[in-house]
Amino acid sequence: MASTISAGTTSGTAIAIAGDTSGNLALLTQAGANTITVPNATGTMMVSGNMPAFSAYLSADQTVSASAFVKVLLDTESFDTNNNFASSRFTPTIAGYYQISAGLRVPVSTTPICVIYKNGSAYARGSYTAVSTYNSVASVLVYCNGSTDYIELYGYTNLTTFSGIQSETFMSGVLVRAA
Amino acid sequence: MLEKLLKIYPELANFDFASGVITIQNDSDNKGDYIAKWEHPTLARPTDEELA
Repeated sequence: MASTISAGTTSGTAIAIAGDTSGNLALLTQAGANTITVPNATGTMMVSGNMPAFSAYLSADQTVSASAFVKVLLDTESFDTNNNFASSRFTPTIAGYYQISAGLRVPVSTTPICVIYKNGSAYARGSYTAVSTYNSVASVLVYCNGSTDYIELYGYTNLTTFSGIQSETFMSGVLVRAA
Repeated sequence: MLEKLLKIYPELANFDFASGVITIQNDSDNKGDYIAKWEHPTLARPTDEELA
Protein backbone atom coordinates (compact mmCIF):
# COMPACT_ATOMS: atom_id res chain seq x y z
CA MET A 1 0.00 0.00 0.00
CA ALA A 2 1.01 3.59 -0.31
CA SER A 3 -0.11 7.10 0.31
CA THR A 4 -1.23 8.53 -3.01
CA ILE A 5 -1.24 11.79 -4.86
CA SER A 6 -3.63 11.49 -7.78
CA ALA A 7 -4.13 13.76 -10.76
CA GLY A 8 -7.75 14.66 -11.54
CA THR A 9 -9.54 16.47 -14.35
CA THR A 10 -12.11 18.50 -12.40
CA SER A 11 -11.34 22.13 -11.66
CA GLY A 12 -10.77 22.63 -7.96
CA THR A 13 -10.22 18.96 -7.24
CA ALA A 14 -7.50 18.28 -9.76
CA ILE A 15 -5.25 16.89 -7.07
CA ALA A 16 -6.46 14.20 -4.67
CA ILE A 17 -4.39 13.14 -1.70
CA ALA A 18 -4.98 9.99 0.32
CA GLY A 19 -2.76 8.71 3.06
CA ASP A 20 -2.00 5.40 4.70
CA THR A 21 0.63 4.29 7.20
CA SER A 22 2.91 2.31 4.89
CA GLY A 23 5.45 5.04 4.40
CA ASN A 24 5.39 4.46 0.65
CA LEU A 25 4.29 7.16 -1.78
CA ALA A 26 2.60 6.66 -5.14
CA LEU A 27 1.92 9.26 -7.81
CA LEU A 28 -1.08 8.37 -10.00
CA THR A 29 -2.57 9.80 -13.15
CA GLN A 30 -6.31 10.31 -13.52
CA ALA A 31 -6.86 6.84 -14.86
CA GLY A 32 -4.56 5.35 -12.28
CA ALA A 33 -2.76 3.44 -14.98
CA ASN A 34 0.45 5.42 -14.88
CA THR A 35 1.99 5.19 -11.47
CA ILE A 36 5.28 6.14 -9.91
CA THR A 37 5.87 4.49 -6.57
CA VAL A 38 8.52 5.81 -4.22
CA PRO A 39 9.35 3.08 -1.72
CA ASN A 40 9.86 3.73 1.95
CA ALA A 41 13.55 2.91 1.71
CA THR A 42 16.86 4.66 1.86
CA GLY A 43 18.45 5.31 -1.49
CA THR A 44 18.60 7.51 -4.51
CA MET A 45 15.78 7.40 -7.02
CA MET A 46 17.18 7.27 -10.54
CA VAL A 47 15.48 8.36 -13.72
CA SER A 48 16.64 7.82 -17.26
CA GLY A 49 18.16 11.26 -17.42
CA ASN A 50 20.70 10.73 -14.67
CA MET A 51 21.76 7.10 -14.97
CA PRO A 52 25.39 7.15 -16.08
CA ALA A 53 26.26 5.62 -19.44
CA PHE A 54 29.46 5.42 -21.42
CA SER A 55 30.89 3.94 -24.58
CA ALA A 56 34.51 3.94 -25.72
CA TYR A 57 36.52 2.20 -28.41
CA LEU A 58 39.97 1.50 -29.77
CA SER A 59 40.50 3.96 -32.60
CA ALA A 60 43.72 2.56 -34.10
CA ASP A 61 45.37 -0.85 -34.11
CA GLN A 62 47.07 -1.73 -30.82
CA THR A 63 50.26 -3.77 -30.82
CA VAL A 64 50.12 -6.42 -28.12
CA SER A 65 52.03 -9.41 -26.81
CA ALA A 66 50.92 -12.69 -28.30
CA SER A 67 49.33 -15.20 -25.92
CA ALA A 68 48.96 -12.63 -23.15
CA PHE A 69 45.94 -10.95 -21.65
CA VAL A 70 46.51 -7.30 -22.53
CA LYS A 71 44.55 -4.25 -21.43
CA VAL A 72 42.75 -2.73 -24.40
CA LEU A 73 43.49 0.94 -24.84
CA LEU A 74 40.03 2.37 -25.37
CA ASP A 75 41.33 5.78 -26.35
CA THR A 76 38.19 7.35 -27.82
CA GLU A 77 34.89 8.01 -26.10
CA SER A 78 31.62 7.93 -27.99
CA PHE A 79 29.89 9.30 -24.91
CA ASP A 80 30.47 9.46 -21.18
CA THR A 81 27.49 11.07 -19.52
CA ASN A 82 28.89 11.25 -16.00
CA ASN A 83 32.60 11.68 -16.76
CA ASN A 84 33.42 8.32 -15.21
CA PHE A 85 35.59 6.99 -18.01
CA ALA A 86 39.28 7.88 -18.22
CA SER A 87 42.52 6.14 -19.17
CA SER A 88 40.65 3.15 -20.59
CA ARG A 89 38.98 2.61 -17.24
CA PHE A 90 35.39 3.05 -16.07
CA THR A 91 35.16 4.12 -12.43
CA PRO A 92 31.52 4.92 -11.69
CA THR A 93 30.75 7.39 -8.94
CA ILE A 94 27.24 6.10 -8.32
CA ALA A 95 26.94 2.76 -6.55
CA GLY A 96 24.81 0.21 -8.28
CA TYR A 97 24.50 -2.53 -10.86
CA TYR A 98 25.98 -1.82 -14.27
CA GLN A 99 25.35 -3.68 -17.51
CA ILE A 100 28.70 -3.86 -19.31
CA SER A 101 29.16 -4.99 -22.90
CA ALA A 102 32.40 -5.37 -24.79
CA GLY A 103 33.86 -6.60 -28.04
CA LEU A 104 37.32 -7.38 -29.41
CA ARG A 105 38.38 -7.70 -33.03
CA VAL A 106 41.65 -9.13 -34.34
CA PRO A 107 42.92 -8.77 -37.92
CA VAL A 108 43.17 -12.48 -38.75
CA SER A 109 40.63 -15.17 -38.05
CA THR A 110 41.96 -16.98 -34.98
CA THR A 111 40.65 -17.48 -31.44
CA PRO A 112 40.53 -14.08 -29.71
CA ILE A 113 39.01 -13.60 -26.27
CA CYS A 114 37.81 -10.40 -24.64
CA VAL A 115 37.55 -10.32 -20.87
CA ILE A 116 35.83 -7.74 -18.69
CA TYR A 117 38.00 -7.03 -15.67
CA LYS A 118 36.84 -5.66 -12.33
CA ASN A 119 39.45 -4.16 -10.03
CA GLY A 120 42.31 -5.72 -12.00
CA SER A 121 40.99 -9.27 -12.13
CA ALA A 122 39.05 -11.17 -14.76
CA TYR A 123 35.32 -10.89 -14.04
CA ALA A 124 33.56 -12.01 -17.22
CA ARG A 125 35.21 -13.97 -19.97
CA GLY A 126 33.85 -13.44 -23.43
CA SER A 127 33.06 -15.85 -26.19
CA TYR A 128 35.82 -18.26 -27.16
CA THR A 129 35.36 -20.83 -29.85
CA ALA A 130 37.47 -23.67 -31.18
CA VAL A 131 36.54 -22.47 -34.65
CA SER A 132 38.57 -19.49 -35.84
CA THR A 133 36.85 -16.14 -35.80
CA TYR A 134 37.68 -12.44 -35.84
CA ASN A 135 35.65 -11.41 -32.81
CA SER A 136 34.94 -12.11 -29.20
CA VAL A 137 32.15 -10.47 -27.22
CA ALA A 138 31.32 -10.30 -23.53
CA SER A 139 28.45 -9.01 -21.43
CA VAL A 140 27.89 -8.98 -17.72
CA LEU A 141 25.90 -7.31 -14.97
CA VAL A 142 28.34 -6.13 -12.33
CA TYR A 143 28.03 -4.29 -9.05
CA CYS A 144 30.26 -1.24 -8.51
CA ASN A 145 30.50 0.51 -5.17
CA GLY A 146 30.57 4.01 -6.62
CA SER A 147 34.01 4.88 -5.29
CA THR A 148 36.88 2.40 -5.72
CA ASP A 149 35.50 -0.26 -8.06
CA TYR A 150 36.58 0.02 -11.67
CA ILE A 151 36.03 -1.83 -14.93
CA GLU A 152 38.50 -2.43 -17.77
CA LEU A 153 38.66 -4.47 -20.95
CA TYR A 154 41.41 -6.99 -21.63
CA GLY A 155 41.97 -9.03 -24.74
CA TYR A 156 43.81 -12.19 -25.69
CA THR A 157 45.09 -13.28 -29.06
CA ASN A 158 47.88 -15.42 -30.41
CA LEU A 159 48.54 -12.57 -32.85
CA THR A 160 50.20 -9.25 -31.99
CA THR A 161 47.40 -6.83 -32.89
CA PHE A 162 44.01 -5.71 -31.64
CA SER A 163 42.05 -4.08 -34.44
CA GLY A 164 41.11 -0.45 -33.94
CA ILE A 165 37.55 -0.52 -35.19
CA GLN A 166 34.86 1.47 -33.39
CA SER A 167 32.09 -1.03 -33.88
CA GLU A 168 34.16 -4.09 -32.96
CA THR A 169 36.72 -3.25 -30.27
CA PHE A 170 34.80 -1.36 -27.64
CA MET A 171 33.30 -1.33 -24.19
CA SER A 172 30.07 0.29 -23.09
CA GLY A 173 27.98 0.32 -19.96
CA VAL A 174 25.01 1.80 -18.18
CA LEU A 175 23.65 1.88 -14.66
CA VAL A 176 20.55 -0.27 -14.60
CA ARG A 177 19.84 -0.24 -10.87
CA ALA A 178 21.17 2.00 -8.17
CA ALA A 179 22.35 0.29 -5.00
CA MET B 1 57.47 -13.13 -21.77
CA LEU B 2 56.24 -15.95 -23.99
CA GLU B 3 59.65 -16.34 -25.57
CA LYS B 4 61.31 -16.48 -22.16
CA LEU B 5 58.88 -19.10 -20.93
CA LEU B 6 59.41 -21.24 -24.01
CA LYS B 7 63.15 -20.99 -23.55
CA ILE B 8 62.83 -22.25 -19.98
CA TYR B 9 60.13 -24.80 -20.76
CA PRO B 10 60.20 -25.82 -24.44
CA GLU B 11 57.42 -28.29 -23.68
CA LEU B 12 55.03 -25.33 -23.43
CA ALA B 13 55.30 -24.72 -27.16
CA ASN B 14 51.83 -26.10 -27.79
CA PHE B 15 50.37 -24.99 -24.47
CA ASP B 16 47.05 -23.15 -24.53
CA PHE B 17 47.79 -19.91 -22.71
CA ALA B 18 44.14 -18.95 -23.00
CA SER B 19 43.19 -21.81 -20.71
CA GLY B 20 43.84 -19.82 -17.56
CA VAL B 21 46.27 -22.34 -16.10
CA ILE B 22 49.13 -20.00 -16.88
CA THR B 23 48.16 -16.38 -17.43
CA ILE B 24 50.54 -13.87 -18.95
CA GLN B 25 49.22 -10.36 -18.47
CA ASN B 26 50.09 -6.88 -19.67
CA ASP B 27 48.35 -3.83 -18.21
CA SER B 28 49.42 -1.55 -21.07
CA ASP B 29 51.25 0.64 -18.58
CA ASN B 30 54.69 0.29 -20.19
CA LYS B 31 55.77 -2.16 -17.50
CA GLY B 32 55.65 -5.13 -19.84
CA ASP B 33 54.33 -8.65 -19.53
CA TYR B 34 54.20 -10.51 -16.26
CA ILE B 35 52.89 -13.82 -14.95
CA ALA B 36 49.54 -13.09 -13.34
CA LYS B 37 48.73 -16.72 -12.57
CA TRP B 38 50.69 -19.98 -12.60
CA GLU B 39 48.79 -23.16 -11.79
CA HIS B 40 50.57 -25.65 -14.00
CA PRO B 41 50.30 -29.09 -12.41
CA THR B 42 53.90 -30.18 -13.02
CA LEU B 43 56.05 -27.23 -14.07
CA ALA B 44 57.28 -24.85 -11.39
CA ARG B 45 56.73 -21.14 -11.73
CA PRO B 46 59.95 -19.62 -13.10
CA THR B 47 61.84 -17.35 -10.75
CA ASP B 48 62.47 -13.69 -11.48
CA GLU B 49 66.10 -14.59 -12.05
CA GLU B 50 65.17 -17.15 -14.68
CA LEU B 51 62.93 -14.64 -16.41
CA ALA B 52 65.46 -11.80 -16.31
